Amino acid sequence: MQEFYHITWTDVFVSLVLVGLTLALIRWWKIGLEKTLIIGTVRSFVQLTFMGYVLTFFFEQRHWSFMIGLIVVMTLIAGFEGARRQKKTPIPNYFLILTGSLFTTLVIVLGVILAFILDVKPWYYPYAIIPIGGMIIGNAMNSATLATNRFMSELQHRRREIEMMLSLGSPVRAAVQDSIRESVQAALIPTINSMMTVGIVFLPGIMSGQILSGVDPMIAVRYQIMIMYMWVTTTALADILVLALVYRQLFTSKAQLKQVNVRR
Amino acid sequence: MEAVTILNDLSFTINRGDTLAVLGPSGAGKTSLLRLLNGMDSPSSGHIFFDNKLLEDHPILELRKNIGMVFQSPAMLKGSVEENLRITERWSDNVFSTDKLVTVLEYVELSQRFLSKNAQSLSGGEKQRVALARVLLNYPSVLLLDEPTANLDPKLAKSIIKLFSDLQKGLGLTVLISSHNHSLIQNFVNRVIVLIDGKIIEEGNVGVLSNPKTKEVQHFLLDENE
Repeated sequence: MQEFYHITWTDVFVSLVLVGLTLALIRWWKIGLEKTLIIGTVRSFVQLTFMGYVLTFFFEQRHWSFMIGLIVVMTLIAGFEGARRQKKTPIPNYFLILTGSLFTTLVIVLGVILAFILDVKPWYYPYAIIPIGGMIIGNAMNSATLATNRFMSELQHRRREIEMMLSLGSPVRAAVQDSIRESVQAALIPTINSMMTVGIVFLPGIMSGQILSGVDPMIAVRYQIMIMYMWVTTTALADILVLALVYRQLFTSKAQLKQVNVRR
Repeated sequence: MEAVTILNDLSFTINRGDTLAVLGPSGAGKTSLLRLLNGMDSPSSGHIFFDNKLLEDHPILELRKNIGMVFQSPAMLKGSVEENLRITERWSDNVFSTDKLVTVLEYVELSQRFLSKNAQSLSGGEKQRVALARVLLNYPSVLLLDEPTANLDPKLAKSIIKLFSDLQKGLGLTVLISSHNHSLIQNFVNRVIVLIDGKIIEEGNVGVLSNPKTKEVQHFLLDENE
């Protein structure tokens, strides 16, 4: 039995047949995405190949400073991308807040995994830190920006309710409690849904990938379970951290709602 | 954001136990004035004193309990009237007995059966009363009422005004009430200020309304009687 399915560049080019099939299909039905699809095909090829070289380079480095540097750069890019998406309702210092929340989440979750679960030695061993760190940052960014977005629309929606509570002497924290709860719940839904259906409705890409490359399914499963737990902790932590910092930006020290797109 | 001057060059004093009407057409700055007094906004210049102390030197959360505000169309939380009345329990050590809630509902002339009603589906007048009860549970010494009758039909409006009047006398509160309708509230207050375009145009006892000095005030008083 073949243990390891080696995929060559030729194999990759052959897989373009699938894209060709898709092209034919959307042409036939006049869906009109041909150009975008071709660009997407080329971009995913170029970006991933480039990433392959970057990863190879980093995997060859055996010094902690490279890993720290890589993680910091990844976090900064995620923070920048996430903050860029928040343009419609700007929040003071959002880039700093988001990047700080992502980094804190990363340090805590990755720290626990490297120290107690995978028992990686040395801790900066790139085969663990790069993929796991990337997953943590990516998931944290998606969830935290989702939570922020929802929080801003909750504030707009509940503006009168929040001012009513403030006018009765409520501290800011209590006045935004419902908005924070709604936002974190909404941002956690995708994660919780995945926890509920994983293994039944879908097999996660990472697990499938591991099995494809010859890993014992039971090991792949154990990895996946850990990843699910890591995922939920990551999103909850990032959401709460980011909102705990965001709401403070939107009120004055006199517990007044600031005029940052929240008020009329 | 463009800065707009809403209130300008205001100066007036309210004595303990006064009932003061802040009159003026919509857009005159009445709501903005009340929001300043409750600390929901801060003036960009000038000073407000409360109990001989600068407003900003009072701890803000205590100040807001002491100077209660009922908004023009009061926000109700999802849930029952009881949950709305118990809202301050969320952030303070308050624990209200049901008897207490029933008593405060009586103050605002609502019966006990309102406790279990859905607060968001109450009528405008009922919401005003629940909002007032909610503020009264903070034991304020000053009440700010922002256009409390704006969304009510004349009969209901009168009964709400009468309620304020009874409460003011019964509890010895200081009351500021804003309105664009002077005829409705002039029998209830002992002093008025007339605000037009953010400035006090007329100030004094209710008598100033029957003998307005300026054209603007005459105009405002006439407009609204049409």
